[in-house]
Amino acid sequence: MSIIQISDLRYQYPASDFQLSINQLSIADSLVAIVGQNGAGKSTLFKLLTGLIQPQKGEININQQNLARLTPEERLRTIGIIFQDPSSQLFNATVEKEVAWSLSQLESDAELIQATIKKALASVGLTKLKDQNPFDLSLPEKKLLTIATVLAINPQIYLFDEPMMSLDWPSQRLVTVLIQHLAQTGHQVIAITHDMDWVAATFPKMVALAAGNVVFEGVPTNFFSCPEPVKKAGLLPPRIMTIAQEVFNDHQVYLTPQDYAEKHLVH
Amino acid sequence: MANYQQLSLNHLSFTYQHDRNPVLDDLTVSVPLNRIIGIIGNHHAGKTTLCRVLAGIVPQIISGKLTGDCQIGDQSPVRDWPAYNQQTGFVLQDPHSQLSGLADTVADEIAFDLLNHGVKETDIQQRVTTVAAQLQLTAQLQQSPDSLSGGQLQRLAIATAIVTHPNVLILDDPTSEMDPQGRRDFFNWLKTVTHTTIVIVSNEIDELCETADELWILEKGHLVSHGTPLQVMNHLNPEWQVTTPMVYQLARLMNWPLAIKPTLFPVTLNQLRRCVNVNHSNQ
Repeated sequence: MSIIQISDLRYQYPASDFQLSINQLSIADSLVAIVGQNGAGKSTLFKLLTGLIQPQKGEININQQNLARLTPEERLRTIGIIFQDPSSQLFNATVEKEVAWSLSQLESDAELIQATIKKALASVGLTKLKDQNPFDLSLPEKKLLTIATVLAINPQIYLFDEPMMSLDWPSQRLVTVLIQHLAQTGHQVIAITHDMDWVAATFPKMVALAAGNVVFEGVPTNFFSCPEPVKKAGLLPPRIMTIAQEVFNDHQVYLTPQDYAEKHLVH
Repeated sequence: MANYQQLSLNHLSFTYQHDRNPVLDDLTVSVPLNRIIGIIGNHHAGKTTLCRVLAGIVPQIISGKLTGDCQIGDQSPVRDWPAYNQQTGFVLQDPHSQLSGLADTVADEIAFDLLNHGVKETDIQQRVTTVAAQLQLTAQLQQSPDSLSGGQLQRLAIATAIVTHPNVLILDDPTSEMDPQGRRDFFNWLKTVTHTTIVIVSNEIDELCETADELWILEKGHLVSHGTPLQVMNHLNPEWQVTTPMVYQLARLMNWPLAIKPTLFPVTLNQLRRCVNVNHSNQ
């Protein structure tokens, strides 16, 4: 299990008023959702966590090691990112080569590489497509492929930027199970998402950003129990809460229909 | 005798030029005009191809073999192109690819099709302002389209599609990049559109059930189910791997069937409200 500690972090894009400003944030749980409106700073935080951009001030420590001082190889093994738009991450001629690419920066043993690729493709259900060109895949398949490229590296920390976006329902279920499995096997999974139903059903911890600042960190039940921070972060409560409010004028917190049924059915 | 008051597909099949297997396989269905038709299904179901057929892009621009017929009102996208094209608006899956790329501002981008239609300058201004307000783009009118976020780009693509007042509107996953509030605003706006036949592909099953008059499920190129959201959601085959709206999931868990038809469970808030009132007053 990893611990990410962010202290006194400031980042401002050139020629923009937007500033990401995080005084103290410690992410120590295995499954954490990062939520907030477009422009809240979620993707900027991910870019900082992967070292794609450098903060103007402050630092990020992962297991008490300063992220800025990691070698590229150490960084690859520590933290992997699955971007929102898979096309920005794919560039090889076949699905198999795509998965092999980053891995071959770290490993030289050809047999190990082959076995790892096979396993990574199988876990996202793309084995049959291994010889296809990544750009001929459907959008959900491209997204699953980018996940496979990171699975092959097996970093300690997985960053998912909007993983549910543009996936169909079977792929959404597959990714949810995969993420839960990663979290249960000692990895840390941090996901940016707009999907509050998914957060409510899947994530024990969450961080909400608004206008570049952290406005909440804790368990979803607490976040959704007070309408103010939810509104401030430009979000809507889980749909089950809207149903309860609109149909029953019931303003309690419910995370899922199952949660509602447990609280209301007399066994 | 053709019925000019409906959208109808008659044994419609389509195979892309270099493919062996049809992407759409023998679709037959008809719906009265001016309804909202929601299309759902998983990938490789043929949803985008069906949108392309309805928008006339297939086989006019992307070629392949089309058999059977597709008729919307008194025109067919296959036989009556480009007249059909004049009365149809569409929003592609990827909003970036459908903007002209020639406009310096959002306002010019929205005006682009109106100029092509020969609309008067003063009318153009007014229509652009109205559409921008409907889709909450007023503040962005003088910005470059390149500066917009994904959700704003999708709203811009919708604005360019509706500014010409089309009779038919084809929307292929128009909210995929919008945030939750933007998505809710979009579906609320969709409910207010009148005198337009709307075909919308979306994964937002809760919103589709609230908004659509008719749902079609595509699976591997076949139309496996069609009817009202209530009928379709209550008769799903697990093999289609389609999800259900949360209202339905809750009603199943709580055993709140419809009062008038106890074999069916509600799929909209209004249906849920009615059956809960009845169930409560019976207790």
